[in-house]
Amino acid sequence: MIELAGLTKRYGSRVAVDGLTVRIEPGRVTGFLGPNGSGKTTTMRCVLGLARPTAGTARVLGRPYRELTEPMRRVGVLIDPHARHPGRTAYRHLLALAQSNRLPAARVDEVIELVGLESVADDRVRGFSLGMGQRLGIAAALLGDPDVLLLDEPVNGLDPEGIRWVRELLRALADEGRTVLVSSHLMSEMEDTADHLVVLGRGRLLADVPMSELLGRHSAVRVRTPQGPLLADALRRAGATVELEIDGALRVDGLGLTEVGDVAFLTDVRLHELSRVTASLEAAYLALTDDDVEYRAVAR
Amino acid sequence: MTAVLRSEWTKLWSIRSTWWCTAVYVLVVGGGGWLAAAGTDSAPRADVAVQTALTGFGIGQLVLVVLGALVMTSEFASGMALASLTVVPRRGRLLIAKTLVVLAYCLLISALLAVLCALAARTLTAVAGGVRAGDVAVLRTLGLQVGAAGLIGVLAVALGTVLRATAGAVGIGMALVFVAPPALALVGTPLAARLSQSLPALRVGEDAFLAVATPWPVGMAVLAAWAVVVWVLGAVLFARRDV
Repeated sequence: MIELAGLTKRYGSRVAVDGLTVRIEPGRVTGFLGPNGSGKTTTMRCVLGLARPTAGTARVLGRPYRELTEPMRRVGVLIDPHARHPGRTAYRHLLALAQSNRLPAARVDEVIELVGLESVADDRVRGFSLGMGQRLGIAAALLGDPDVLLLDEPVNGLDPEGIRWVRELLRALADEGRTVLVSSHLMSEMEDTADHLVVLGRGRLLADVPMSELLGRHSAVRVRTPQGPLLADALRRAGATVELEIDGALRVDGLGLTEVGDVAFLTDVRLHELSRVTASLEAAYLALTDDDVEYRAVAR
Repeated sequence: MTAVLRSEWTKLWSIRSTWWCTAVYVLVVGGGGWLAAAGTDSAPRADVAVQTALTGFGIGQLVLVVLGALVMTSEFASGMALASLTVVPRRGRLLIAKTLVVLAYCLLISALLAVLCALAARTLTAVAGGVRAGDVAVLRTLGLQVGAAGLIGVLAVALGTVLRATAGAVGIGMALVFVAPPALALVGTPLAARLSQSLPALRVGEDAFLAVATPWPVGMAVLAAWAVVVWVLGAVLFARRDV
């Protein structure tokens, strides 16, 4: 369980996180989404006590993170795949982390095997690819078998096989009742991984919803009829927004499947198709963050 | 606390620079001491003979400045600090562990080298009555040198904590302990001499090593004061700053 209350972080005049209040519940994978620069990493840094909030509080398992002694047994963290000394071997890196929290050295061997780094355990991490670095970071997060996991962009740089592995791992951890918070700017990844979404834009909370609800909210009704203009007028009178699709069908927002069918019946038009279109997470997310993209490429 | 100490000890010895620094330190101090003793046929007193054999520490301690600073600055340079502070969020605890590990390293290696240098003096320099292990003046000379080396290590960790950048910490460390004290001594005015004495010079026992000489209690007090003040400043900044 992670609780943020009015969390705010300013860097000079720039507001990185703006009054964020949200609870990350156990037993599910919570996706932490937002465009680049929306404050995801800053939020995580504030939660972990790496950065001091300008205002508000962040609590992990009911306490400020900085007050936890030997936090690895409670909270596993992947904040940056480069958070390691390049001259140290993977094994020694993990051993030093384990020792600081009185975790047995045998646990280091276990996590190395779990993430599949056995063959490079005694290599200096300098030569590691981004994907290997991510695996090492995930190994470090899992060392203490924690109840809470905070992973910042864990699939960045992983190959498809690695991405699937992380997805299954997170699912399994959440199913065991742990709190799992994963940030990403990769929508497609989240669609398959997360149960719940927390969406940030310019440091503000845009959405804190179950995945299915967000997708449902941005769904529409698709209706095809030979009497398009007639039905469109009737639907508009009923309060819907109607757009004409490329293939001549109507895309109806604001009315449910049943209402659209009823309007068609009362207007006496024939229907050739009546279906619900579920938006992809990508589309739902773009709709949410449209006004909140901090760095936008300008078309010239 | 012992857990964090073990972790920091592992960190210290699992990077190559520690082994290189140790090799250079042993070579410069041990080799330099042996050569100095071999070049001194006789000395009026045992502690003077030992003092001469400790000459290598004058330059060798620069290695301790590099090693002490790196223990902190390499964490910030590599991003390791993020991992270190998430597993040990109590920052004071982490800084104390790092400081104690460096202090232990400096005292241990320096003590071994000091004994080696004393053996060189005993073997190679003629002194009436010989260099005996129980000689109080000899023990004090060795103790001062080992203690000074430990304080130099603490000062270097403190500088690394305040500045967080290797070049800055090592540069300022070298200026404070190695460049400025003799440079000020060369100026020759009374004020410059005072300033020279008030810097944390690499004191080879009572031999000021090119800086303006001070009685050993004053010299050690100055060095200790620098180490403590910079360390406290570092601890305050470390606790407050974002990583």
